[in-house]
Amino acid sequence: MDRDQAWDRMQEIQRIMERATLWTLLPGTAAVLGGGLVLIGCAVSYAMFRSLDFADILHMSLNRQIAFCVMWFSIGVLGVLIEAILTARAAKRQGLSPTVRSARLAIFSMTPSVAVAMVLTVKFLMPAQPTVREIQYIVPVWMMLYGTGVYTAGLFSIRPPRVLGLTFIAMGVVALLAVPDYGVVSAALSFGLLHIVFGLYILRKQRQGRAS
Amino acid sequence: MSESIKPDDIDAIIHERVRLAIVSALAVAPELSFNELKTMLSLTDGNLSAHSRALDEAGYIVIQKTFQGRRPYTTMRLSPKGRKAFARYVATLRQIIDQGDPSTDDSS
Repeated sequence: MDRDQAWDRMQEIQRIMERATLWTLLPGTAAVLGGGLVLIGCAVSYAMFRSLDFADILHMSLNRQIAFCVMWFSIGVLGVLIEAILTARAAKRQGLSPTVRSARLAIFSMTPSVAVAMVLTVKFLMPAQPTVREIQYIVPVWMMLYGTGVYTAGLFSIRPPRVLGLTFIAMGVVALLAVPDYGVVSAALSFGLLHIVFGLYILRKQRQGRAS
Repeated sequence: MSESIKPDDIDAIIHERVRLAIVSALAVAPELSFNELKTMLSLTDGNLSAHSRALDEAGYIVIQKTFQGRRPYTTMRLSPKGRKAFARYVATLRQIIDQGDPSTDDSS
C-alpha cells in the first residue's frame, strides 16, 4: 500500500466515523439535565396556579403571567445552552469539530419544526385575551413539532432519536385530542420524564461502548 | 530509525473496504443495528451479512440476535479484539503516511 492509498483509507475512516458519531455526540447528560429543568418548571407552574391546566395562567395577574413566561423561556434557553456546551465538549473529547456533519444535520433537521412551534406559540399568545383553547394547544403543539424535529434528525443516523421523536409525536396527539387541560402533566411526562429516560438510556449505551 | 511496513503488517480482515467501514462505524458507536449499519454504509442485506459474518468469525465484532415482537433484531458491536485490531490498522496507515512506501519512492 502506498502513501496515497493509505491517505485515502484514513479519509474514508474519518468520513464513516463522522457519520456514526451522532451516537457518541448525543448528550445523554444534557437530556437528563434538561428533563430535570422541565420537571422543576412544571412544579413551579403548579405551585403558581394550583392547577394542572396551563390555561389557568389566564386567571393570574399580569406580573405573574410575565414571570411565568420568563421562567419557561429561560428553561428553554438554558436547555439549549446545556445541550450545545455538552455536545461541543463530547466532540472535543473525540477530537472532532462540534460542527461535524452529523451535528449539523441534527441542527438543520430540528430548526424548521422548532421555528414553527415558536411562531404558533406567539400566534396563540398574541391576542389581548387569548382563549383557554389557544393556551391549551401550546404544549401539544410543541410536543408534536419537537418530536418531528428529533425524528428527522434521527433519519440520517441511528434509531433511538427516531423512537424518541415518534414517542413525542404520539404523546402530543394524545395530549391534544384527549387531555388538553392537563398541560402540566403532558409537559412533565414528555419534556421532563421522557427526556430523562432517554438520557439515561444513551448514557448506559455509551458506557457499554466504552467498556467493550 | 523506524521500521518499514511489511505486507503482513496490514490486517487483511479489516483491510477489505466494506469490513473497514463496518469496523470504523462500530469504533465510535457503542452498538448499531443491522438496519442502521445498512443505511449508514449504503450496503445491501447480503453484502452486510457476508462481511459481518467474516468479522464475527475473526472475533472482531459481536453479533447479537434478538426479537422485537415477532421481528428479528440484530445488533453489532466491536469486541475488545476488534478494537485493538482497528487501532493497530490505523497506526499502520499513519506509519505509511509518515514514511511513504519505499517501493514507490522516486528518490534515487
